[in-house]
Amino acid sequence: MKQQTNGRILDSYAYGNTHYDEVFKETKEPKEHYQSIVERFNQLSLSDFERINNEVKTAFFNQGITFAVYSDDKKPDERIFPFDLFPRIIPNDEWMKLETGVIQRNKAINLFLDDIYHKKLILKDKVVPADLIFSSKNYLKEMVDFTPQGGIYTHVSGTDLIKHIDGEYYILEDNLRCPSGVSYVLSNRMALKKSLFELFDKLKTKTVYQYPEQLLEILKTVKPKNVDIPTVVVVTPGMYNSAYFEHSFLAQKMGVPLVEGRDLFVEKDFVYMKTMYGPKKVDVIYRRVDDEFIDPLVFRKDSMLGVPGLMNAYRAGNVTLANAPGTGVADDKAVYHYVPDIIKYYLNEEPILNNVKTYHCEKESEMKYVLENIANLVVKPVDESGGYGITIGTTLTNDQIEEVKIRIKSNPRKYIAQPIMSLSVHATFIEETKEFEPRHIDLRTFCLMGKNTEYILKGGLTRVALKRGNLIVNSSQGGGSKDTWVLD
Amino acid sequence: MLSRVANNLYWMGRYIERADHLARYSKANYFSSLDAPIVKTYDRSFVLESMLYMAGIFDMEEINERDVLFRIGTDTQNSNSIISNITFARENARGARNAISTDLWEAINTYYHLVNNYPQETYLTTGLYDFNQMILDQTSIVSGKIYGTLLHDEEWAIILIGMHIERAIQIIRIINSKLHDIYKIEQAGHPIAEMSFEWSNLLRCVESFDTHRKFYHNIPNREEVLEFLMLNQNCPRSISYSLKGIRRYEEKISQNENSNSNAISFKIRKLSEQYKYLSFDEFKDDIYGLLNNTQAKIIEIADELEKKYLSF
Repeated sequence: MKQQTNGRILDSYAYGNTHYDEVFKETKEPKEHYQSIVERFNQLSLSDFERINNEVKTAFFNQGITFAVYSDDKKPDERIFPFDLFPRIIPNDEWMKLETGVIQRNKAINLFLDDIYHKKLILKDKVVPADLIFSSKNYLKEMVDFTPQGGIYTHVSGTDLIKHIDGEYYILEDNLRCPSGVSYVLSNRMALKKSLFELFDKLKTKTVYQYPEQLLEILKTVKPKNVDIPTVVVVTPGMYNSAYFEHSFLAQKMGVPLVEGRDLFVEKDFVYMKTMYGPKKVDVIYRRVDDEFIDPLVFRKDSMLGVPGLMNAYRAGNVTLANAPGTGVADDKAVYHYVPDIIKYYLNEEPILNNVKTYHCEKESEMKYVLENIANLVVKPVDESGGYGITIGTTLTNDQIEEVKIRIKSNPRKYIAQPIMSLSVHATFIEETKEFEPRHIDLRTFCLMGKNTEYILKGGLTRVALKRGNLIVNSSQGGGSKDTWVLD
Repeated sequence: MLSRVANNLYWMGRYIERADHLARYSKANYFSSLDAPIVKTYDRSFVLESMLYMAGIFDMEEINERDVLFRIGTDTQNSNSIISNITFARENARGARNAISTDLWEAINTYYHLVNNYPQETYLTTGLYDFNQMILDQTSIVSGKIYGTLLHDEEWAIILIGMHIERAIQIIRIINSKLHDIYKIEQAGHPIAEMSFEWSNLLRCVESFDTHRKFYHNIPNREEVLEFLMLNQNCPRSISYSLKGIRRYEEKISQNENSNSNAISFKIRKLSEQYKYLSFDEFKDDIYGLLNNTQAKIIEIADELEKKYLSF
């Protein structure tokens, strides 16, 4: 461990000169919008900071903001998602561009979904290859010619962004099925308010508090016809799902029941929940169960999480599902590449936010390029989430490169490749060294869409890769998170 | 409310109450035994056996203190141990997380982590008092949150009916267990006069020693202690009081359905009225009979409640 100079805890920070540093300039001075925060942190002694850090960890533990790691013999090991006390700050003008860009993107995606399940104009015009869509296992024939309430497919979407070394944001991926993480945004803010409340006097951040209220309002806008006051529920796979904390958190904050598939049944195409006093009709379902598990009569027959008959009730218009089934076809990593074209096609606008250049291995010329340049590319399977199956060229041995080549050649449709993006770094407290060190971060924004209305959470979830040099920020791969401030 | 969630709340209440009684029984017995007057009969194994009896553990071949404390307190394999009860309470709360207040959830979750992280060796050597006292204190915090941070509606009533059913059953178990101890001491030929120690002990096991003294101004004796713990309408840890609670919360849940057509309400009222107008003389010759009969009726009521409201 390096010697602390004058006890100022940020003095020993090693400026991350090979990447875009969010906090510090090359001169090691903090950037303007970080000045007052850095000043405040430097007033804390290391022992004060460690005490606060430990208090926050205990609080997360006691609040049950945890996930369980199961092993065969013993009781599950309960862990918290690491939370870093140094907030990530986004100046307002920077945010406004992100916000309009994310809304633009999600509006276009929604129109795209409506099109590919109805008239298929974009495919007929060959802007997006029809094969790409029809060969996707996430394209659901059950959704063809069906229009969800209000024409909304992606009620909740999570758009992942990174900032490259050029200081520009790039879209990393769209999450249009059951994006998670928003409960951590709210919990992180709460934790930071309790522990380092003085920071909030230094700078004014926009609040994130309204998210659950907005979610409930959005869900009510897509209630079925002929329903006056809709009964809204959240559907969870159950207590042992890794996102159960979030499911219960959202249900509790919205004040609606949290139900499991086994709590619901369908009769004459209406959905009911089993209450203490008998059946009660359910109108809007915010479901956190994947498409393939929602109805064993239509999708996976072995699903214990679903509700037999749900799809029929849905197609009869008697219940709304959020998100709509079949949205996964649009957040496929192969479709990602076409989103700028999708935006131009439907909105007649230039995309506000950049895509990362993507090579599709199913196109022969692009596969050739990928095979020749694996060492400089990130290769991703198109249908995996959670950071699984990703290889980063610079970390591979020659043998591993050959293995990746074989994998790609055996199923080109399954792989895309992108240049290795240089994720920006942010000062992050590392417990082992007791120092702030640069760590890679990304940003997941949360966008809600209802009938004629949309809402975007100001800020989002900043995920941080805690392992030195690691580019993968997913919590399942040892990532943590930060509170994210959009300045007022 | 979902019947599954109601089921979670009901069992959460029962497990919280169960752990509390188990901890208090262990604490009260163990520590009062240290300077017990009837030294000869009352050696350590006598107390340990009593604790096992209360905890429903009958399979221990050799009784040694360390094992007994472990089995009752921190044995996760024993579903009747204190730690298992807390774990079940917490899992039920987690299943009903969105139906309870954040305050209550955090209190239960904190309780669970405190118990779970309590150093095993400390508990088995020097921490017996501290551990059990922690259980009692945490129960108080949780109860406070149940009363103070929830809407007093039928969901709340479900938790409380669980707690009162469990309390009634536990009081019956404790009285039974102590009567069993006292019988053994009597068999050993000790004069009745020395028995006041055991009656005091019974009162301590249900946190009623102080209230009893305040009410009777007398050295605890068989008649007054049993009368107090079974029939007193104002002692919060009597059978009669618990039945009153079951009745009050059942009325909230059934939303005053006509009682003639509602078998559960009818049974509960009948039982609680019976206790209201009972005198010690009427059952002094067959205390076991009354206790067992009452327990059977409570279990029957609990089963019917579960069937009606908690298992759609």
